[in-house]
Amino acid sequence: MSPAVDTATRLRRLLAILTWLAQEGEAPIDEVAARFDLTPTALVAELEMAACCGVPPYTPDQLLEIVVTEDSVSTRVGTTLARPRRLSPREGLGLAASARALLAVPGSDEDGALSRALAKLDRALGQTGIEVELDTPDLLETVRNALAAHERLTVTYYSASTDQTAERTITPRRLFASEGHWYVDAWCEVADGVRRFRVDRIATAESAGPASPEVLADAAADRSSPGEGTPTGGALGAFVPGPDSRRVRIAADPTKAWLFDTVPSAAEEAEGGRTVWEVFVGGDAWLERLLLRLGPDAEVLEPVEDRELAADAATRILARYRG
Amino acid sequence: MAQPDRLERVTDLLLVLLDASRPLSLREIADRVPGYPAGHEARRQAFERDKRLLRDEGVPVLAESIEAEEQVGYRVDPDAYYLPDLGLEPDEQAALNLAVAGVHLGEPIGREALSKLGMGGSWPRRGAPLPLVDLPLVDGLPALPLLFDAVRTGAAVDFSYRGAPRSVDVAGIRFRGGHWYVVGRDRAKGEARTFRVDRFDGQPQVGPPGSSELPTGFDADGEFSRDPWHFGPGESVHVDVAVDPAEASQVVTELGPDAVVGRTDDGGVVVGLEVTDVEALVSWVLDLLDHAEVLRPDEVRAAVVERLESIVAAAGGAR
Repeated sequence: MSPAVDTATRLRRLLAILTWLAQEGEAPIDEVAARFDLTPTALVAELEMAACCGVPPYTPDQLLEIVVTEDSVSTRVGTTLARPRRLSPREGLGLAASARALLAVPGSDEDGALSRALAKLDRALGQTGIEVELDTPDLLETVRNALAAHERLTVTYYSASTDQTAERTITPRRLFASEGHWYVDAWCEVADGVRRFRVDRIATAESAGPASPEVLADAAADRSSPGEGTPTGGALGAFVPGPDSRRVRIAADPTKAWLFDTVPSAAEEAEGGRTVWEVFVGGDAWLERLLLRLGPDAEVLEPVEDRELAADAATRILARYRG
Repeated sequence: MAQPDRLERVTDLLLVLLDASRPLSLREIADRVPGYPAGHEARRQAFERDKRLLRDEGVPVLAESIEAEEQVGYRVDPDAYYLPDLGLEPDEQAALNLAVAGVHLGEPIGREALSKLGMGGSWPRRGAPLPLVDLPLVDGLPALPLLFDAVRTGAAVDFSYRGAPRSVDVAGIRFRGGHWYVVGRDRAKGEARTFRVDRFDGQPQVGPPGSSELPTGFDADGEFSRDPWHFGPGESVHVDVAVDPAEASQVVTELGPDAVVGRTDDGGVVVGLEVTDVEALVSWVLDLLDHAEVLRPDEVRAAVVERLESIVAAAGGAR
């Protein structure tokens, strides 16, 4: 047993093992140890300790009912500490939100098991009253099928950060939803690298034949690296600063802070009651959008080349209204 | 002899507290749980640490007054600790596990929930990886678990929203477009309202269970305001917006096909919107840059032009 594992963590793990084991009845030591990330020796030590726990006068019915044999461990349904426990509001929310989010993914619950599980959860927790809505772009299914079949796609794609539409051939590597939108990380043959595409900005997609073995091997290596694509790994944030992105400092009224909520940014207090935000900008069009939403009080401090950007964009749009 | 294992003492303590039919004094607890120090002060300190550990782990340790020298007794109500068995079938358990594995909440709370329900440990992965969904949750939104509990227990909620106090009978929680919303009935206005959870000022105050006076048949889905221009208090105005081909598919995905009132030959669309917050609509239209134009009515066109002219004027003044 590693001394670094504290009592709270061990208690949580012991209760998790007992509650799981009660449903199984009996299970091989090796399997339980692997499942709960313990060595077999440590698992046996932990369960033998627990088997001695109980309430005076320690008659058999007052002890935890755990049996440890040469190669298996067992307990039974209804054993004290081996019954399902009430969830905290955070845990209940986390579980219900996860289930609702997966249900919002088209085609994720074809056999209805998740819906049935949620109905039972609602019965036990009380009506959870939670719904998750995700975009369902027309081409989501096309992209998902290409990902599963290891196929390339030729797409026409509108890039919001550069305001350009272009045709590209891509090999999808990972599909995910973030901030309510669907994204696909894909090998892009034009860029000769991995780029992130918003699925609802793909206007057309045609199959372009099987993916190259090199690109697939590269994607597989990527998936096996720690943190990448795993639920416990790094955040799936929708914005990854690229090599071409620049830092821009913007001064604005503090009441506009919410416009920066979904933008990777750092804020600092400034003189005159204004707040200065530092943001990563991937393209002019993206910065134009932000500045137009911030309104006339916002001001680009650095770089100086970007100071006229908002007024130029406003003039361009005004031309449409005066045309 | 080896140092006594604190986990053994804590496990025994939990068993004794669950078994207690009445609150037990610290003296009685120390008689039943081996491993507490002999001295009164050391025993009190060790017990307080164990009690804190159990409470941090979500065990509802009750402290109640008793008629004894020590005045306070402790127990755990099994009904408050255990959940009635959910009776999940194996395929339903697997589905919940997939959901927890595929949805990224920023914290492992879904996994902790599964552990409490007897679905702990790592699950073997099967088949092709499912798409992942990233949901901003408790991280940065401490109000959300409180609102979740309020919906669950039928409690009314008081909170401050963008500087104004609100009292709301909450009906449901919705995630849409990257944000969490709560929908309910505003008690002062007597009408349905939708609030963005990240715009709460501070933490909401949740009333006692059952304090909500939500009318029966309140339709959280029907009342949920989906678009920001529905959040305003003003009269509803019908607005037509032309959208260029570059942004058309994105806009149709966002608003749904029912919003489309016309299509142009080049692949653009005209969308019709009911607007109560013109300011919010102007922001939304400007987000589309010169790929969108308000067609009618004139006063909303004028609002867009006014915003743009103010931005041009501000830049001119700074020069």
